[in-house]
Amino acid sequence: MDERLQKALDVSNYMFTLNNQKRLLKEKYKENLVYYFNGGQFTITQELVSFCQSLLSMEQETTILVDDNDLPIEIEDLKMFTSDLYTKYFEASNQYLVEYNKLKQNRSVESILDL
Amino acid sequence: MSKGVLLFASNNSHINYVKQAYFLAKRISKYMSLPTSVVTDVDIKEKYPDWYEVFDHVIPVTSMSSAYNNKSYHDGSLAKRVLSFNNGNRGCAYDLTPYDETLVMDTDYIISNDILNQCFAQQKDLLLYKDAVHLGQYDGTTEFKKISDTSVDFYWATVFFFRKTYLTKIFFDLVNHIKENYLHYRSVYQFSSTVYRNDFAFSIAIHIMNGYTKGTFANPLPGKKFYSIDRDILLEINDDEFTLLVEKPNHLGEYIGTKVKGSNVHIMNKFSLERVINDQ
Repeated sequence: MDERLQKALDVSNYMFTLNNQKRLLKEKYKENLVYYFNGGQFTITQELVSFCQSLLSMEQETTILVDDNDLPIEIEDLKMFTSDLYTKYFEASNQYLVEYNKLKQNRSVESILDL
Repeated sequence: MSKGVLLFASNNSHINYVKQAYFLAKRISKYMSLPTSVVTDVDIKEKYPDWYEVFDHVIPVTSMSSAYNNKSYHDGSLAKRVLSFNNGNRGCAYDLTPYDETLVMDTDYIISNDILNQCFAQQKDLLLYKDAVHLGQYDGTTEFKKISDTSVDFYWATVFFFRKTYLTKIFFDLVNHIKENYLHYRSVYQFSSTVYRNDFAFSIAIHIMNGYTKGTFANPLPGKKFYSIDRDILLEINDDEFTLLVEKPNHLGEYIGTKVKGSNVHIMNKFSLERVINDQ
């Protein structure tokens, strides 16, 4: 095989593998960003966190939020709920960052897969 | 309320589903701290002397052979066998489970985290996955979105949660009715395969229970359902880390390696799963 083509195909395989691992990391991150509370399921978004923070700044202590499945969920302790959102968000984002940085340092298919 | 996991295991001439159930039950105990019961037509108590350390209940049934289908089992892209497949008892989960709240799983759904424990806190009495993520880039859009191009939404019966209620009893009775009249529902719901699929029966039953439309009779299970198809090959499971070869889309027999850690994964290639279990 032409050496130029062989090198390009090696890169092609590497990019395919890398992009697939990136996609799986992103899916895992999205899974980790879900917070289960009081029978409800909340995907942690910057919008949700900001809204809860706004309610707290208006000295609200309780609220009702509609979850991912359109169920109304009573939040009896808004301060604790918001704190949990932050914790979960930082944990998931940190894990994503660490694993992403580890992944992007790898320069071959073998190192991506720890072979 | 009692809670636990229910597995169904009926061996065929090449695949040892009981061994898979034994492997999975240990992982369920390790990662989810839940008891597991198994419905089987195999004499587990004789073949596995330590069964009581792994299973909460062994529920013997004699009728599993009545529901045998034949289907192709791939072992990667280039090898396959046509084997019998008993999958017809899933609708009996309501009557067979010893628990008030039950997670039912295929024996090839490999648990690696505790996210499904969140089921027991959910308000809905029936939960199952509608969407799933392939570990490669298999475009199963048609196959896993609708039960056919002109039909209803697809739900995975690989893993589901239910509470014993009046409504879920009606649901499971309906699944059994659909199974018994499968060719009729095949015509009504416009799919071509004559092989009985739990996924299809559950999807049809949910559609009917929703008033013949989309609705909220069933909600999604917590977490994501990751899966590999039987054309992919599982190489290794090291604690909660899976290493696989997944086939490149539209390139028959060409693979890329992939790794996933801390996720529950549905491994459809039963042969490679059995090889990995044997190596453990």
